[in-house]
Amino acid sequence: MDIKTADENPVDVRGLVKVYQSRIRALDGIDLGIKAGQIFALLGPNGAGKTTLMRILTTQLRPTAGQAFVFGRDVVRKAAEVRTFISYVPQEMSVWTDITGYENLLIYAKIYGIPAGERKHQVWDALDTMGLTGFAKTLVKTYSGGMIRRLEVACALLIKPKIMFLDEPTIGLDPSARKAVWEKILTFKAEFGTTVFFNTHYMDEADLYSDEIAIIDRGKLVKLGTAEELKQSVKRDVIHLGLGKGSVGESVLNELRRLPLVNEVSLDRSELTVTVGNTETALPAVIDVLRNAGVPIEKISATKPTLDDVFLTYAGTSLMSGSDLREVRSVRRQIRKG
Amino acid sequence: MNSLREMLAMMELELRRLRHDRTEIYTRAIQPILWLVVYGTIMSSVRAIPTGGIPYMDFITPGVLLQSTVFVSVFYGLTIVWERDTGILKKLLVAPVPRYATVIGKTIASGVRAIFQALIIAPVALLLGVKFVPDPLNFLGALVVLFLVSGGFAAISILVASFMKTRERFMGIGQAIIMPLFFGSSALYPVKMMPPLLQRVAVLNPLTYAVDAVRGLMISRDVSHVLRDTAAIVVFDILMFVAASFSFRKIIE
Repeated sequence: MDIKTADENPVDVRGLVKVYQSRIRALDGIDLGIKAGQIFALLGPNGAGKTTLMRILTTQLRPTAGQAFVFGRDVVRKAAEVRTFISYVPQEMSVWTDITGYENLLIYAKIYGIPAGERKHQVWDALDTMGLTGFAKTLVKTYSGGMIRRLEVACALLIKPKIMFLDEPTIGLDPSARKAVWEKILTFKAEFGTTVFFNTHYMDEADLYSDEIAIIDRGKLVKLGTAEELKQSVKRDVIHLGLGKGSVGESVLNELRRLPLVNEVSLDRSELTVTVGNTETALPAVIDVLRNAGVPIEKISATKPTLDDVFLTYAGTSLMSGSDLREVRSVRRQIRKG
Repeated sequence: MNSLREMLAMMELELRRLRHDRTEIYTRAIQPILWLVVYGTIMSSVRAIPTGGIPYMDFITPGVLLQSTVFVSVFYGLTIVWERDTGILKKLLVAPVPRYATVIGKTIASGVRAIFQALIIAPVALLLGVKFVPDPLNFLGALVVLFLVSGGFAAISILVASFMKTRERFMGIGQAIIMPLFFGSSALYPVKMMPPLLQRVAVLNPLTYAVDAVRGLMISRDVSHVLRDTAAIVVFDILMFVAASFSFRKIIE
């Protein structure tokens, strides 16, 4: 292995396997590499292995087999070194709620050995980047979920890491809070060139903020690419046509199926669903066929594939788990208990 | 030195927490004060226990102080279980700090809390007429013993926390540890008075040595055993620290 090349990649994973209690294969042979300065998303449903992978990369857990390198250092053999230039925001709340935001950062600054002279300045800098200077001196237990997340990201930024690992950074947050958190992360990243590796099961988050996405399901890496590449690869533009009264014979459906860009055709009472490679070019042809057959069209709508469609295609399950409300409740409960 | 920084940071964390909220210290002082005010007063009138000339309430004050100290330390482990449930522990593991430093740092932090606890109870004892040795060095020495003992019990508590998956289970075990040790020490009566089986327990009980040392320093001026007692406590601490450092790994998984 060329040491120099290995040094350039922030994350390099080879055949990583993690088995819990001799039974549960959380990671089943993962190969992954990410480029410096990237924002990389690991997308997958709950239980897919995202947190396990992140915990191995952040030197908390040891792999059962395979290797992982962070900026060229083996996470098992050079764990102590790796910890000096990474930061990590876990999924659960990771700040002390019975002290102030400022104190939280100060304690971490001391743990990380930031010299006394620079400490206060760096703490206020981090608070400022995350828009928390107004609340710095109030107890964290009074913070909203979004503020807590921002504080946690501020802790991660404090040491100006080479790579930041974020586990479900916006879980349980409302849309405006999510946007605020990401805006700040992007600003920081633009200024310091930090690589960002984040886990999420929110496809819109992966879509909006990542440079590259890896889809993980049941411990295996299923697909890798940019959001656009992934969506295009699925070729599932869907055209919905609401048809008027009258029956549509099988012959008409078959004629539609024979059209070059059409992948699938299905009819549900008066709802005709046509899956095509490209809506713009397929739609006129579809309409022509229906008109010639005398089938009245009352409504037309078209959708482009979402990452959920991508996920469905490659992993066979949906990302949507309907657990969002549970997540918000759980975050709120943690703050209250705090 | 990373380790020292971490330990000091844990201690500072505890001090800041205390600065914001001291209610726990006050509420935890109630039970020890009741021991002194109610039990101490009543039993001293009975005159059944040979305390070598010391008034009974003075006799039990060191034990009561230590019991509250140990209580605080053992339940400190609960905060660690809680920190495990949240992401704090995970984050500390990713910091460039050796594991043992976090463990020791946390035990020191519990020692800080324990000292504040003692500082609330001691004045009450004074008000009740307990005669402390008026030498500040003695008092300081007693606080040092308290600090060391609390460290060891905090380590036990971390050990237990590694195996308990829920808070509720932990609370039950906490009580189950403290009370037998309290009754199996010389806190309430001299060791000579105990049944032979219990005497053997008392010899192995770190609290016996702690009570002996604190009583010697604070009440009776009999400091002949203080060095031996402190050594015993330090040995206890080291054993517990080592065990806790190993089991700390388990907490993470």
